[in-house]
Amino acid sequence: MDAAQFAKETESHRGYLLRIAQLQLRDRDLAEDCVQETLLAALTGQSGFSGKSSLKTWLTGILKHKIVDAIRRKQREPVSAAAFDEEIDLDEFDPLFKRNGGWETPPAEWGDPEGALNRRQFFDIMEFCLEKLPPNTARVFMMREVMELESDEICKELAITANNLWVILYRARMALRQCLEQNWFEGGARAR
Amino acid sequence: MLLRAIGHILSCKDATRLLSQAQDRPLSSFRRWRLTLHLMTCDACTRFERQLEFLREALRRYRT
Repeated sequence: MDAAQFAKETESHRGYLLRIAQLQLRDRDLAEDCVQETLLAALTGQSGFSGKSSLKTWLTGILKHKIVDAIRRKQREPVSAAAFDEEIDLDEFDPLFKRNGGWETPPAEWGDPEGALNRRQFFDIMEFCLEKLPPNTARVFMMREVMELESDEICKELAITANNLWVILYRARMALRQCLEQNWFEGGARAR
Repeated sequence: MLLRAIGHILSCKDATRLLSQAQDRPLSSFRRWRLTLHLMTCDACTRFERQLEFLREALRRYRT
């Protein structure tokens, strides 16, 4: 791939990278800075791209470091334990379960969910659902599932306990599962 | 019946928490054993387990 072609293809991923950064940082300016730095690093370090992974994966890898750096720099306004506590009170009434711990509304049958993975609209709905997560919950969840950081790395970066981390990830997965069920899998939405 | 009773020593709520945790760390063998027994007798949580796996796959596709 020549330099011009490489630049063009790199640029074509800007929108995706920005959405990822925005979901994670919840700060438009900071997200744009991270993406700008990522694209710049990619263009100046083109030789680092071996072509073994897709360009998108490679760019996401660079973005991951930029986001972690940004979170670190933001320590001036650290993600306080109190901010997390608001989002992770596990003893709060959980409408998904009865008092005895049984399902209030058991998960619906999703049919053939793999088919959804070939639908662009499905990923639009997924982004919509990710955006609906509370900010700190979304940040942690994205670090784990999109940036693929290990649990102990996330705990270290955000100075939270492993227990808090599991609770946050649990909350995120429950909310995402429910949101996808309501907005995609139920009520003939699959036919959209 | 006995199997059902043992399986439900773990509630569905607790089973969902363990299933989520299992995506982030290895469960102790005791926890895994209780979870396995629960899943043997609980269709709703078995379905939930499949959906969690699907979520992870969907996010993997999303980022590649």
